[in-house]
Amino acid sequence: MMTMPVRILVVDDEQHIRNSLATWFREEGYDVSVAASGKDALAAVAREGTNILLVDIKMPGMDGLELQRKVRELAPDATIIIMTAYASVETAVQALKEGAYDYIVKPFDPEAVSRLVRKAAERYSLITENRALRERIAAASPALITSGSPAMARVIELVDQVAPTDTNVLITGESGTGKELVARLIHASSSRRFGAFVVENCGALAEGVLESELFGHERGAFTGAVGRHRGKIEMANEGTLFLDEIGDVPPKVQVDLLRVLQERTLRRVGGNETVKVDFRLVTATHRDLEAEVAADRFREDFYFRINVFQIELPPLRERPGDVPLLAEHFLQQFATQMNRRISGFTPDAMAALVAYPWPGNVRELANAIERAVVLCRGERIEASHFPFAGPPASANLSLSAVEEAHIRQILAACSYNVAQAARELDIDRVTLYNKMKKYGIERP
Amino acid sequence: MTVRVRVLALGDVPPRLAEAVLTGLPPPYGGGEAARLDVAFDRCYERPRAQVDAACLIEQLPDPEPGWALLGLTGVDLFMPALTYVFGISHLGGRRGIVSWFRLHPEETGPDAAGTLIRRVTTEAVHELGHSLGLVHCVVPDCAMHRSMWPEGVDLKRPEYCPACTEALAASH
Repeated sequence: MMTMPVRILVVDDEQHIRNSLATWFREEGYDVSVAASGKDALAAVAREGTNILLVDIKMPGMDGLELQRKVRELAPDATIIIMTAYASVETAVQALKEGAYDYIVKPFDPEAVSRLVRKAAERYSLITENRALRERIAAASPALITSGSPAMARVIELVDQVAPTDTNVLITGESGTGKELVARLIHASSSRRFGAFVVENCGALAEGVLESELFGHERGAFTGAVGRHRGKIEMANEGTLFLDEIGDVPPKVQVDLLRVLQERTLRRVGGNETVKVDFRLVTATHRDLEAEVAADRFREDFYFRINVFQIELPPLRERPGDVPLLAEHFLQQFATQMNRRISGFTPDAMAALVAYPWPGNVRELANAIERAVVLCRGERIEASHFPFAGPPASANLSLSAVEEAHIRQILAACSYNVAQAARELDIDRVTLYNKMKKYGIERP
Repeated sequence: MTVRVRVLALGDVPPRLAEAVLTGLPPPYGGGEAARLDVAFDRCYERPRAQVDAACLIEQLPDPEPGWALLGLTGVDLFMPALTYVFGISHLGGRRGIVSWFRLHPEETGPDAAGTLIRRVTTEAVHELGHSLGLVHCVVPDCAMHRSMWPEGVDLKRPEYCPACTEALAASH
C-alpha cells in the first residue's frame, strides 16, 4: 500500500458495480471516487486529479471511448482501464488502440483486477516520481559497466543475482569505489524500480538530525519543526532506501532502524501514529563492520539484519587495468558536458594515471579528469593537468583552492579521522563533512 | 477497548464452527456469543451465476448494539456484482461482516481437514471484523488483514493482527 494513496475513479452507470468496486478498492487502501456518467467523471478528474480510471465502455450519453479521449486532453498521465462485458470486447480493443492501459471483462476475477490496478498504480508511480531517477541511472551506469575487469564482472553478476529478491544488501568497499552506483543498479534491476530510490548519508548528520531525516517528525516535535515532515524511510515506500556510511549510525538509531526492519512500521519523531512502510534496504560502508561489532561499536543484531547479502567492491588500485577505460569514459563525459574538443591523453598522462594509487578510487579519478578537462587548452590531456603529477602552481591558487589543500593536509595528518581533523581546524564535524563534500574529498 | 462479537449462523452451519470461530478470535474481541439469524437468501440469489450477492446479504444483518460487532457465517457462494467471487464482505467501519466458507474448504479430507477449515474461517473472520472496525489491507504477509485471493493464501496468515494493525485499532477506538 502506498503512503500517498493512489486516487481511483470508477465510472459506471450501474450503481451496484460502482459500489462493489469502490468497496473492494477502499479495502486495498486506495482513495476511491465514483461517477455515474462521462460528464460526472470529467468533472471529478478536473476536481480531484485522478490517477487511475476504471471506465465502463457502454454508458448512456458519453460512452467509454469518448470519455477516454476527453480525459486524455484533461489528464494525459492518467491511466485508463476499460471495463467491458464479453459482447463488447471488440470495442475494448479499439480503446486499447487509442491508449487505454488495459481492459477487463465483467465480472472480474478478484485476483486479476487487484493485480491489474496494482500494475496501473506502479505505472503511475513510474510516470510521476521516477523520471529523474531513471535519467540519472542511465547517465551513471556506463562508468561501472564499461569496466572490463573480472572483479567488476563478478560484482555485476552478484547484482543480477540479488536484485530480483527483496533481500537486504550490504555493499562494502573503500570510499569512491561506486557503492551508491551499485545500489542504484540493484534498485533499477529490481521489481521496486518503479518506486523511489532514496539516499541518506548517515555519516554526515548528528544523531538528532539523522533521526528526523530517517523517521520524519510531527509538527512541534522540536524547535523549528513547523510542520509534519515525512522521513526518508516513508519516502522510500515501495522503493529502495540506500543508507550510506551505515557504520557511522549511532547505537540508538541502530535500535530504531532494527525495529522498523522487524515490524515494517515506524513512528515519526514526536508522533503517536504508526505508519506502515514497505521498502528494500541497501546499506554501504567503508568500515570493517565485523571489527566494529567485535569492538562493541556496532550492534550485532543490526549487523546480521542488514548483512544478509554482501557485495564487496574492489579498490581501483587492485584493478589498474580499469583505469584507462574509466579515464576515457570520464574524458568523453566531461568534454561533452563542457563542450571541449579533447581527443585523448598523452602517453605520459596515461602513464601517470595508471601509476597513481587512487586512494579516493573512481570518484577521485572522475574528479581528476574533470579538473584536467577544465585546465586543458590543447587537444590532449597532459600529465601536468593532474594535481598528483607535479607541484601545484601555488601563486595562482584561489582562496577555495587553498582551503581545499589545507583540509586535505590536515585530514591526511589525522589519518582521515574526521572528528580529530575538525578539532585541528577549529570547526565542527558537520561543517567539515560539508566542506569535504564540496571539494570531493573522500576518506581512503 | 474490547469489542464483543455476535457470531451469527446464517442458515445451516457445521456443528461447533460458530463456537470455534468465536473462541478463536484474538483481542480486541472478547465476551461474545454465537446465535442464529434467519435471512432470505432467495432475495439475494442470482440464478445465472448460481451465487448470492454479498452486498445484498449484508444488508439483512441488523445494526449492532454499541460495543458489539456482528459477524455472519454462511456456506453459500458469495459474489460482488463486479467480481466473480469473494470470501467475505464487510461494511468498512460499520461493525458488520460476513464470511463464507464455500471456497475455503481444504482439498484434502481426513481428520485435519476440519481443523484447517476452522482455522481458515477464523482467519477470514478476523479479516472481515478488522474491516468492520475500519482497518484496510496490510502489507505484512502473515497479518490477518493481508488480502488473500485463494484458500492456500489464507493458510499463510495468522488469525490475529500485526503490531501496526493492532495499534491502528487501538488508536481509532
